This record gives sequence, structure tokens and C-alpha cells, in this order.
Amino acid sequence: MNGNDDSVEMQRRRTVLKRVAWMLGGAVSAPAALAILQGCSAKESVPGAAAFQARFFKGQQADIVSAIADVLIPKTDTSGALDAGVPAFIDSVMADVYPTDAQARFAAGIDEFAAAAAASGKSFLEQDPAQRAGIVQKSLEAALSGEHEQKPFILVARELTLLGFYTSRVGITENMEYVAVPTAYHGCVPLSQMKKHVYWE
Amino acid sequence: METNSFDAIVVGSGMSGGWAAKELTEKGLKTLVLERGRMVRHPDYPTATKDPWDLPYGNRITQETRRRKPVQSRTGYPTPANQHWFVDDLDNPYVEEQPFDWLRGYHVGGRSLMWARQSYRFGPLDFEANAKEGVGIPWPVTYEEIAPWYDKAEIFAGISGSVEGLYQLPDGKFLPPHDLNCVEVDFKQRLDAKMGRKLIIGRCANLTAPLTHNESPQRGTCQSRNLCIRGCPFGAYFSSVTSTLPSAERTGNMTLLPNQIVYELIYDNDKGKATGVRVLDAETGKQTDYFARIVFLCASALGSAYIMLNSTSSRFPNGFGNDSGELGCNIMDHNKPGNSNANVEGYLDVAYTGRRPNGFYIPRYRNVGKDKRDYLRGFGYQGRAARSNYNRFNDTPLMGAELKKAALEPGPWTVGMTAFGEILPYHDNRMTLDRSKKDKHGLPMLVVNAIVRDNERKMEEDMKNDAAEMLEAAGFKNVTVRSDSYNVGNSIHESGTARMGADPGQSVLNKFNQVHACKNVFVTDGSFMPSFGCQNPSLSYMAFTARAADHAVSELKKGNL
Repeated sequence: MNGNDDSVEMQRRRTVLKRVAWMLGGAVSAPAALAILQGCSAKESVPGAAAFQARFFKGQQADIVSAIADVLIPKTDTSGALDAGVPAFIDSVMADVYPTDAQARFAAGIDEFAAAAAASGKSFLEQDPAQRAGIVQKSLEAALSGEHEQKPFILVARELTLLGFYTSRVGITENMEYVAVPTAYHGCVPLSQMKKHVYWE
Repeated sequence: METNSFDAIVVGSGMSGGWAAKELTEKGLKTLVLERGRMVRHPDYPTATKDPWDLPYGNRITQETRRRKPVQSRTGYPTPANQHWFVDDLDNPYVEEQPFDWLRGYHVGGRSLMWARQSYRFGPLDFEANAKEGVGIPWPVTYEEIAPWYDKAEIFAGISGSVEGLYQLPDGKFLPPHDLNCVEVDFKQRLDAKMGRKLIIGRCANLTAPLTHNESPQRGTCQSRNLCIRGCPFGAYFSSVTSTLPSAERTGNMTLLPNQIVYELIYDNDKGKATGVRVLDAETGKQTDYFARIVFLCASALGSAYIMLNSTSSRFPNGFGNDSGELGCNIMDHNKPGNSNANVEGYLDVAYTGRRPNGFYIPRYRNVGKDKRDYLRGFGYQGRAARSNYNRFNDTPLMGAELKKAALEPGPWTVGMTAFGEILPYHDNRMTLDRSKKDKHGLPMLVVNAIVRDNERKMEEDMKNDAAEMLEAAGFKNVTVRSDSYNVGNSIHESGTARMGADPGQSVLNKFNQVHACKNVFVTDGSFMPSFGCQNPSLSYMAFTARAADHAVSELKKGNL
């Protein structure tokens, strides 16, 4: 059966990745480890940002989106967006899922966001995480308060950060009850009886 | 010619073709099943056991899929998890004189692999409507005649549901029903108390308990994964691949050939019979003739009518069996003009576990009993209540650790439901062939032209307003009723192209799905429907196919074919 082959293959890959993480002497996100396996160098500008071969992002766009994803879903006592490989996810979704006009809007949106964030004289990436969070928070609030013909950049970035994170392995397994084969459906279960309150569906 | 001869040929291996194959082979006929698409064997479903993080793009439809499969992508179905079951529209073109969504699966099992598994009987109300109202032509079959065949289909396939005693939606031989969840139970009680309307659990072809027969040892019970459309490695929902084709295979009487495009029936003028079918190999283009004593067309409503329209002879200059001029006409589907949604207050301390491959159903109540509207027929709703997920944060400024914390709790409950309305048969909703345009196999282009008309438009008002009224009566908040543009075909229930009737001057098939003018050809997919109810139709195709196969073999034995 295919499924068995898949899971054997997954096991093997996970083992390889674990070894790579161990060799590097710490926790490395899967995409970062993969990128390393593929011979890419990790970028330094956003600490913890996963390196990947960008197909959509140009120049500093990958770093800026990584920094935004990092403040939207930071690493706390549980994994964050960067651990889940969200920047690489957004890059792939932009490259393969979004049509040309939406791609152009998103790319321009990153650049405009960065330009506005640099108004203080310091670029977005040079600011500390608290400052970055403040900028993203303001940007979100502004986007939500107005009427827009097209969905503003920051809302697309957050939508994709949420999608990438909560469809990732760490995003799902650390935050939701994920049961691949539930065996039964129960229509009315007190949350108090559930290990995690969000049941993946 | 010897090796190309069989007792029976079945064209298509989907919902109807699988049943024809099973019934004919079990009655001892050496049967050739011809499928235009690739081979699929249970349980070889490439994405069935993938975890969500193994699917790229958060399982969103890619631009490449939209480019190759623009029609299929008009639905949300061809995601990375499912897109391999949906045809390449560029390789399989047709002409839309009016927008028409033709969703297709060219592979063994056809759309029985991807169907939504909702399984409802048509009742006396449906079988009598055309005659009472003078619409189209009368059904030549009564509910009492088909009821035992519904029994047979339900028992073999394994249909779960609740016994309700509703005249407009007859009960069947059910496996235990799925649970309604807490909010759905509340909705049900309020609808009943305030409006006298019923809300029931959907009736579906998922095994909520072991089958009551031992003919399908390869099938297991439903594991509540709700990934059915990818194909079920447990064999827990009915498809040709899990159910009917394995039964046919076990008889030793079936020859199943994939990649065989049937494009024409061979007619023998002297005998007044079809002698077989003409086939192109989808991969090599090689042309082959296959011969048999009877032919079952189960290639889908548009597919079977295409083959018949393309089978012309001196006897049938306008298409096979088309003395009535109705072949390709009267295309129906279910009108689906939009979804309705609402927020639910409360129930925050309860949720559900497992993923139910089913929802609730609000059976038709319009033009039932004393209810009389300014349009004919009615509609039903399919929906579900669920707790909202992280998408609820899209409209909030929440971010950072706060967002992560909030996401550890399920969101408020929401209810969503979609109305499916009956479309009347109209002669002018039709398909034709354009012989001046050819596809890559050199075959004429199918041209389709079907729209909804006045009766459907009037009904739409009720479909929307009633949804809002019911959601409000239940005490739900922020009720929204969306108006979506609907193309005929979008419910993936296209039907009616070779309707059955008592009068050969007005219909293509008789009451046993036999071509009036050529008794050894049977058409048992959605083509035969003279009217269409508002219920999902697959169970009816199963029942009518089994009945037609029984009749065919009995007529063969009597020497009548």
C-alpha cells in the first residue's frame, strides 16, 4: 500500500533531519535542515529564519516576510512560524498558487511595507523584535480599519502565515488534537474531556 | 473476432457501470467492462494516507492545475490532495454555448470515487410529479416498482441513516445513523418546534457498522477520517472500486479494460440489434471493435448520449435510438444558488471528536402536503454545524503570543447550509455534436447548452429566504445568505439526456432502461431520468441499473434479445 511506503520514506527523512540537527548542535527547523542538505547557506539577518531557495521572493523580501511571520507567530514555549518553515511556505504558495496580478501586489506590498517601516531611519530588519511587532500591529490595525479594493498586503501575509503554520507538522501537533485515524465521531464532547481543545479537521 | 466477443459489454466503470458489471457477471454473463480512463485498484489511492503537512500549499489549488483544469477548478475540488481524480480539461474539451460545469473523473471507478456519498431515495412524490403537473413526460416506473431495488442497493452498498417516516423522503434499509452534534440537535429541535420542519442526519454510503452481508470482505467500517474523496484505504465508503467491481471480479466473468474510449455503437440493420461497440485506445489511438449480445451504456449522462449521438446509421440518422428527437435533450442538474451561514452563541464548553464524513439534511417541505407555492417542486438543504478554526483571526488584529494562545481554543460555532433545488426537464436544455470540431482523438466535439429558467428562478427566492428564516428561528446570529452564480452541472448531477417513458415517440428508453428502438442496448446512468427531484441521485442509478440488469438477463434467457 502506498501509505506504508510513504510513512517509511517519511521516517527515513525524519531520521536524516534529526541527525543533521544533532550535527549542528541544536534545534534546526526542517526546512532549514533541508536547505542545508541541499547546499544553501542559512541567512543571518533574522535569527532562526529558515533558509530556503526562494522562487518568488527577491532580495530582502524573504527576510522581511520571515521577520513579519516571526512576530505574527513567534516561538514561545511552543514552536513559531519560523520553526514551521512558514517563509518557505509563503514563497511556494506565492510562486505556484497565486495568479500573476496577486503576486505583483504581494511583492509590491512587501516593498511598501519595508519602506514605510524604515521611515524612522532604521530599516525594518535592523529594528528589534519588539519594534517589529509594533510596526506589524499598527499595519494590521490600519488594514482592518479601512475599506480596500484589494486585500491589504499585511492581511495576506497573516492569512498565509496562519495557513502555513496551522497546516505544518509542528503547528498542528503542538496546538491541536491530531488523530490520523479517529475511528469514531462523537458529536458532543465536553472540552474538559479533550486533551487539546482544538480537534484537527 | 472470437477474442473480442462477450455476452455483455458495459461502457463505463463508475457508479452505474460497476453495478451493471456486478449484476451481469453474477448472473453468469461473460462481461467486458470498458473504461476510458486509467486503472485504479483498491486500495491504491496515492494521497489517501497523507498527513496534512505532507500536502503542499496548505492544499490550495495551484495555478498549473487551474491552467490545465479550468472547468474542474470552478469547484474547490482539484486540490493537491484530489486533483489527480479530475480530468485535464485541455485534453478533454467541450463547447459551452452556455456556461456548463462538467466535472469528470476518467479512471476506473469514475466519480464513484469522488462522490459526496449522500444517498436518498426518490419517493412517490417525485415519481408522480411529471404526470400530475403535465411537465415533461410521466415516469414509466412507480415507487412501489423500484422500492425493492432501492432495498438491494442500500443493503449491498451500506447506507447509514435514520428512519423518519417522511412521505417525501422514503426510509430505507439503513446502517446506524451518524451523530448530529450538539448544535445540530438544538437546530433540529427548534426547527421542529417553531416551523414544523425536519432536520435529519444525512444518509450516506459510509459504513457506520459492518455490512449486513458477507459479499464484500474487502470493506471495513468508517474510521471518521473524512478524507473519503482521496479514496478510502479502509474501503469504508461505497465506490465501484471498493465494492461492485471486486464482486464482479470474483465471479471470474469480468474482463476490465482501462484506457478504452467507446465512441460508437455498432448497429446491424438486418438483425435490428446492436452487435457491439467501436473503441479507440486512449494511449495508442488503436481502433478495435468489441462484440456482445447486450450493451449497457453507463458512461454518464453526457458521455452515454455522446456515444449515441455519434452512432448514426441509415436506421438512426439522428443518433442511436433517437426516433423521438429527445436524445441529448432535457439536461437537468440541481440548482445551487448559494450558501447560508450563521454564528451560534453558546455551546463553548463542548465540541466533537473524529471527523464525520456527513452533515445534516433538511428534506424538502415546499409543495409537500398542503404547502403550495407559485412554482413547482422543491429543494432540500445540506449543511453542518462546526466550531470555527484559525481563519476567524483573519478579521482581528490579533498576533503574537496572544494569537497563539487564542488558537488553543476552538472558535465559536457556526452553521452553514446549501440548498439543492429541482430543475425541471426542458427540451431546449440540450447537448449536440459539432462534427466540424474534433478533439485530440479525432472525435466530434460535444456542445452543451443548458440554463435555469423561470421555475428555478422563482424557487431560488424561497431557497434563500427560507434559509435565513430557519437560521433566525433557531436563534443564530449574523445570518448571511450568499448569492452565487450557478452554472448547470455544478452540482455534478447532470442527467436526463435519454429519458425513459412509456411512449417511444417522446422518450429514448423504456421502463427497463432499454432503448425503445433497439432492445439489446440499455442506458442506466443519469441519462434515463425524466425528472430529477432534489435528492442526490446516485442511489437511484444503482437501483435502476440493478433492475435493468435483471431484466436484461431474463430477456436474454427468454430469447427476446
